[in-house]
Amino acid sequence: MPETNIREFPRQPDNWDGVALTAPISFGYAKQSPHGAAWFIGSTLREMLVAAGIQKREVDGFAVSSFSLGADSAINLTQHFDLAPRWIENIPYGGASGVIALRRAARAIQCGDADIIACVGGDTAFHRAFEFTAAEFSNFTIDASFPYGGGGPNAAFALITQHYMETYGATREDFARIALAQRYNANHYSPALLGHKTLSLKQYLEARPIAGPLHLFDCVMPCAGGEGMLVMSTDRAKSLGVPYCTIVATGELHNSHQEDDIQLRGGWTEFAAAMYQAAGCGPADIDILQTYDDYPVISMLQLEDLGFCAKGEAPAFVATTDLRFDRSGPEPNKLAHNTSGGQLSVGQAGSAAGYLGLTESIRQLTDRAGDNQVKNCNTALVSGYGMVNYDRGLCSAAAILTRGDT
Amino acid sequence: MSSTDMMRARLKKNRPSRRHRARPPKQRTALGQAFSAANLGSAIALQQCRNCDARQYPPRDVCHQCLGDDLVWRDCSSKGKLLSAIPLHHSLWEYFKRRLDTAPWPIASVRLEEGPIVFAHLHPQSLLDDAGKCPPADTPVKVFSHTDSSLNSVMIAVSASTDIASATARTGIAEAMGLTEPALRPGGI
Repeated sequence: MPETNIREFPRQPDNWDGVALTAPISFGYAKQSPHGAAWFIGSTLREMLVAAGIQKREVDGFAVSSFSLGADSAINLTQHFDLAPRWIENIPYGGASGVIALRRAARAIQCGDADIIACVGGDTAFHRAFEFTAAEFSNFTIDASFPYGGGGPNAAFALITQHYMETYGATREDFARIALAQRYNANHYSPALLGHKTLSLKQYLEARPIAGPLHLFDCVMPCAGGEGMLVMSTDRAKSLGVPYCTIVATGELHNSHQEDDIQLRGGWTEFAAAMYQAAGCGPADIDILQTYDDYPVISMLQLEDLGFCAKGEAPAFVATTDLRFDRSGPEPNKLAHNTSGGQLSVGQAGSAAGYLGLTESIRQLTDRAGDNQVKNCNTALVSGYGMVNYDRGLCSAAAILTRGDT
Repeated sequence: MSSTDMMRARLKKNRPSRRHRARPPKQRTALGQAFSAANLGSAIALQQCRNCDARQYPPRDVCHQCLGDDLVWRDCSSKGKLLSAIPLHHSLWEYFKRRLDTAPWPIASVRLEEGPIVFAHLHPQSLLDDAGKCPPADTPVKVFSHTDSSLNSVMIAVSASTDIASATARTGIAEAMGLTEPALRPGGI
């Protein structure tokens, strides 16, 4: 068993200057869809081109994240969409797809490997398709977790949630604070599939049980949808006249803390300090936090590992911190969290869910969020988490974004 | 067919399975099948590396520690400690849906004393309290494998004091849990 996961990097990574994130699109959310994944990815791309006012032939880089393309990957889609990219990436990393795509694309832009990169996450949801995704998610899933009856990742996360509650004394009321604040945010974000419904503490607590401490409103609703953004140089963004935001610092680390019996932390613990140092700021300077919220406990792990509170103190943190986008809650401290409602209220569109916080942050930092616009926001932290191969999520990634020049 | 009709046709099929017999998931990878075969004659057998002696589960193609490919299936200690245990109330799989009609289905993750973490069906009779509550973390348990009604080996966790020395005793436990029989639907097809 590995003794430690702390890695000494030979040198600090280069900065992330000069890269613009623009044209954020969230497309076509639906509980089920007869369309294929390529329809969601292609339609999202079309909307991105319109938003940036560019032609398809100007896109010379293409990154795709999807679980439901069947036999296809990014390269097959180039013919599907008549693209001729000189840079291509397939990024099938679920909830970390967005931040990982951002990091890969940003380096390509800095190095001149591409001028305009379209990063798209998109998945469809045929009737009962989630059953098949869950049954064949990975080889470890097929051999050692799906045969035990859990509905997809519900079982693994119920075990994690149960362990977190036993270890730190968290209660369902603590998790409810995250779900309720996000539902409030979703009530102001029209594409959210559950945004037309309110959620009360009573409804949350009385929801039907799913697995152990997890009840209905702790679980995301699998759905179809697409999310995407364009990555280009800030010079290019300025010449196009499109609003954009930039990357301050970012990090990723995967399959860390292998020695832990059950996942109570992720790779963020190893790179968060260096990321804040490179950014020249700390958690207190973050105006908007977008965590990957496949289950509320995972948002708590990110609050802790990204330094917003100490390990085990997320329940106390959410009890005293207003997580609403408009700071309208009664709690004394304020932190706009998952401002579009997160997956818990928007829906989990497969790999597109890994882009959800990213596209939302770009909208927020360019003042184009609409009804759920956070006032006076300058800095956003987007976190990605994903890929429950067996008993824990393997991917951790995060990025700090800020407003571009206007 | 228009997309609306296609959706309607799909929704029409959204109904419980009418099969008479429903069984646990049958699909395994080649390595999963090797696990099932290796466990037919033993209480619990896991992969071990002949180069570095590391134990591993779930089964892999190479040793997770030294990346050597000289792996053998060897009997393993049944002893372990419970990491987390929960009752399932919902499943995507028909066999479990039918079992869940009568009672929640408890499962657990267990750290075996030889190292690997395994998911296991939790034996309700020996590990649930009178109120049907799962035991807390660190409870000592024993884990063994048994063939389920899809003819795959699956892990079963029992209390540390349960006798699992003989194949007859282990089969008795698996049968009492309903694992060796399909879940039946009266009047099904």
